[in-house]
Amino acid sequence: MDFRAIARLLALAVLGWCFGEVCSDGEESSEFTFLLQAGKSDCFFQRAIQNGRMEVEYQVIGGAGMDVDFTIISPEGTLLIAESRRSDGLHMVETTVEGDYQVCFDNSFSHFSEKLVFFELYVEGQGGDVDGDEELGGVEESDENMLQYKLQDMREYMDSMHKRLERGRQMQTVLRAFEARDRNLLEDNLWRVSFWSCASVLVMLGVAFTQVYTVRKLFDDKRRVCT
Amino acid sequence: MMLSVATAGVILLAVCIYPGYALYFHIGETEKKCFIEEIPDETMVIGKYKTQLWDKQTNSFLPSTPGLGMHVEIKDPDARVILSRQYGSDGRFTFTSHTPGEHQICLHSNSTKMALFAGGKLRVHLDIQVGEHTNNYPEIAAKDKLTELQLRARQLLDQVEQIQKEQNYQRYREERFRMTSESTNQRVLWWSIAQTIILIMTGIWQMKHLKSFFEAKKLV
Repeated sequence: MDFRAIARLLALAVLGWCFGEVCSDGEESSEFTFLLQAGKSDCFFQRAIQNGRMEVEYQVIGGAGMDVDFTIISPEGTLLIAESRRSDGLHMVETTVEGDYQVCFDNSFSHFSEKLVFFELYVEGQGGDVDGDEELGGVEESDENMLQYKLQDMREYMDSMHKRLERGRQMQTVLRAFEARDRNLLEDNLWRVSFWSCASVLVMLGVAFTQVYTVRKLFDDKRRVCT
Repeated sequence: MMLSVATAGVILLAVCIYPGYALYFHIGETEKKCFIEEIPDETMVIGKYKTQLWDKQTNSFLPSTPGLGMHVEIKDPDARVILSRQYGSDGRFTFTSHTPGEHQICLHSNSTKMALFAGGKLRVHLDIQVGEHTNNYPEIAAKDKLTELQLRARQLLDQVEQIQKEQNYQRYREERFRMTSESTNQRVLWWSIAQTIILIMTGIWQMKHLKSFFEAKKLV
């Protein structure tokens, strides 16, 4: 096995790692939708490196009050962000300390209603300093400098397009969360309208019969009321 | 030459054994954690998890615990179970959606030894990839013998296809949303009219009934 073959293998491995999961600039995003039980609190932990950026966006997409308490706690235990009873939020945290950052959702104020929460975590490393050049050991070995330069350009454009499309996907996810929230609200409304209409009709009929019965009862009395 | 090989080896090794950097959370013994993924149809989803157990002696989390399994249950939007399997302490589950909608992924631990949970908490690293993120690009590159630019182009095509699928699904959801909204409006309208008619009819009936009652009693 000569050096070129090893370089190709390495390039492919690192490239595969980059294509598969986390790119060389340490970018990573995860999004989850979960059910938060009434009176409980759920925490998620995310590792972040020093001098990076962490972006957290959350939305309550289902539940009666549509709000939740939100906190972010640094690895040292200091409370970075604390929000009470909000229905959505977007926060950017500069991760000055390396470690596991804790993102918590608290539903203890609600005794009966469970909340459906959507959140998205976006962690960025020292983006910009480490770029895509390190990915490839030596895939392009053309002697033509112009050709190599143009291919390098193309590669950069494609990388940039990939990042923008990723961002587009994330926007779609956020829009989907908004739509899910509105849909849940609407379905709740539909159920409530049906239920209360039914109840209203029954109450009306009940009141009508009770009135008639009461008036009749007044005159069925043995005592003479009036002539 | 040997140094390069050694460096390549070290880097490869680092790539492979990099500790789980995904999101993690703590799960109790009988606790069930559920996540909801809303996805279009014919979309592949791959979930990977790693578990760690709190060790009181070393006061830290052990890397992996044999004997501690996780039960994974996945339900489709019609609440039918499409996957219900026991996996080991590190697992990888995958499914493809056949109907668009909210799929529910539930995890709970199924420990064979109760003593393992004496510490109380199990740490679970979870990573769920949807759509084109599930594609294994090195494999595709090796199979189709693609260069790096070709692979990148293929990846961009997959991304755009997924965005398009998501947009189609968005259109379908918006249509259902509109139908629900119109149904609600209809119901509000018809129920209000019905209630008004019932109210008027009940009033007329009451008056008639009481009038005939009083006449029968010779009060009027």
